[in-house]
Amino acid sequence: MIYTISDLTKIYGARTVLDIPRLEIEKEHIYALLGPNGAGKTTLLNILGLLEAPTAGQVQYCSRPIRYSESELQSLRKEVVVVDQHPILFTTTVYKNLEFGLKIRKIPKKERARIIDESLDMVGVRYFSKALAPNLSGGETQRVALARALALSPKVLLCDEPTSSVDIENQNIIINILRRINEIKKITVLFTTHDRSQAARLAQHTIVLNHGKLVPTMYENIFRGVLQQDQSGQVQYIIHDKIHLPITQDHIKNRNGAVSVFIDPEKIELILLAEDQSNRKALHGRVVQMIEENGKIRVVVDAGVWIALLISKKRYDETRPLVGEYIGIRISAEAIQLL
Amino acid sequence: MDLIVDSFISAILLVISLDAEMVVIVGVSLKVSCTSTVFASLIGVPLGFIMAFGSFHGKRMLITVLNTMLALPTVVIGLFVYAFISRRGIFGVFDLLYTQNAIIIGQTILIIPVVTAFTIAAISRIDERYRKTAKTLGANRRQTAWVIFREARFGIVAAIIAAFGRVISEVGISMMLGGNIKGFTRTMTTAMALEYDKGAYTLAVALGIVLLTLSFGMNLLFHFFQGRVRSQ
Repeated sequence: MIYTISDLTKIYGARTVLDIPRLEIEKEHIYALLGPNGAGKTTLLNILGLLEAPTAGQVQYCSRPIRYSESELQSLRKEVVVVDQHPILFTTTVYKNLEFGLKIRKIPKKERARIIDESLDMVGVRYFSKALAPNLSGGETQRVALARALALSPKVLLCDEPTSSVDIENQNIIINILRRINEIKKITVLFTTHDRSQAARLAQHTIVLNHGKLVPTMYENIFRGVLQQDQSGQVQYIIHDKIHLPITQDHIKNRNGAVSVFIDPEKIELILLAEDQSNRKALHGRVVQMIEENGKIRVVVDAGVWIALLISKKRYDETRPLVGEYIGIRISAEAIQLL
Repeated sequence: MDLIVDSFISAILLVISLDAEMVVIVGVSLKVSCTSTVFASLIGVPLGFIMAFGSFHGKRMLITVLNTMLALPTVVIGLFVYAFISRRGIFGVFDLLYTQNAIIIGQTILIIPVVTAFTIAAISRIDERYRKTAKTLGANRRQTAWVIFREARFGIVAAIIAAFGRVISEVGISMMLGGNIKGFTRTMTTAMALEYDKGAYTLAVALGIVLLTLSFGMNLLFHFFQGRVRSQ
């Protein structure tokens, strides 16, 4: 493992932005860090990039706990580089931007020139070498920032939303660069993104954060709602006044003020409306999206809110849902997790 | 009206002919102003940089005090320095009063707050991402500071130019500490005041033209560097 995180918390003022009991990151793999805005992705990236210290807990790098002394951080930072969501280049030439980190590492001049050319080649912007960095476009800046990081041959490359501020053409180029540097240079890559499909295309592992906590899968099935007791004393979880979910006493006991729920897409049952005649508890909704994912079928249903299901191919063959068709979904208490 | 037109024409001729007395006065002005600007920059730029870059207790208060000192009247500084360098002052033995060095001391005190405050403003304007980028690329504290300094260079140059503009046009300190001695401590502004008292406008207007030209040049430079800051 290149990183092992245990009992990490990061608190700003009175707000806990990260609360991660355990997280391991494997060497030479690509990780996607998914989550909505404010989930704590950038904070985690900065902690892994040794730019911020956690409020509590331990981060191990290459099986050694980080102590956060300035001298230790400085030497570790020579192995870990963070590329910002909107990277900034020094107001000088592209060449000198790449030279900066190499000079710090006391690389001889000739060697510096070779590495710079190679790095610019790798991201396909060698012809910009003499150009003034502030004159570059967003996509070019992003690529030069990647080259500047690559020139330092880091063990870990941490990219914050590497494709969010660039056009489609540059998005594909950047994705390919990240894939190549992982394959060729064996650099561990961790990038944050909002884009689930990009994460699936590029990453071997996906980490999902919501409100600073790790959640078991994609954040699409996370909802905010209220707990309400009906006349019979039964507690229900209500989303947008429309959807009533069954809640067990265990859920309420474990509730620590949170009002968000996660519904495990693999535990949601898909039923045809014909099958639902005898069962009034099923939610009805329209199929809006279907995609094959790791041997299963992901079905997204609009039931007032968008709910994603992961069904087996067998169940898919049995039910054959179509996009635009109305179907039923059944959510049991076991599928619900209070966050 | 004739007086103004006549004085103006005579003054232009004086400037064109590079009148010896006028050249000496301009020379003294430039010498003391340049020297005090250099000293104030040597003190104010690092001071401003440390205040902007570092984090310490009472930083905001210190900046407020500094900003207040921007409005310090030249006569107050003149009086203050006079108390120290007059024969009865603690630095009286150095015999500084009515010398160019006395003007330089006073002017340096006058513009240290200008250079410092403008340097703080220049450094504070620098995008926080530069610091983060330098750190993640492996820079230590000193190397990170250098990156910030380099990025703020145009703003710092603009600070120095603004300070020079302030001293070249001041009159209180030059008059009180220099004494307006002909050929020695007579600067453009003190000479203009004297010529006005004498009712001899030609040299005063000529010096005014030189002073305005210099100020215009300084402002052009200032805006050039300010423009570079904005385009960063």
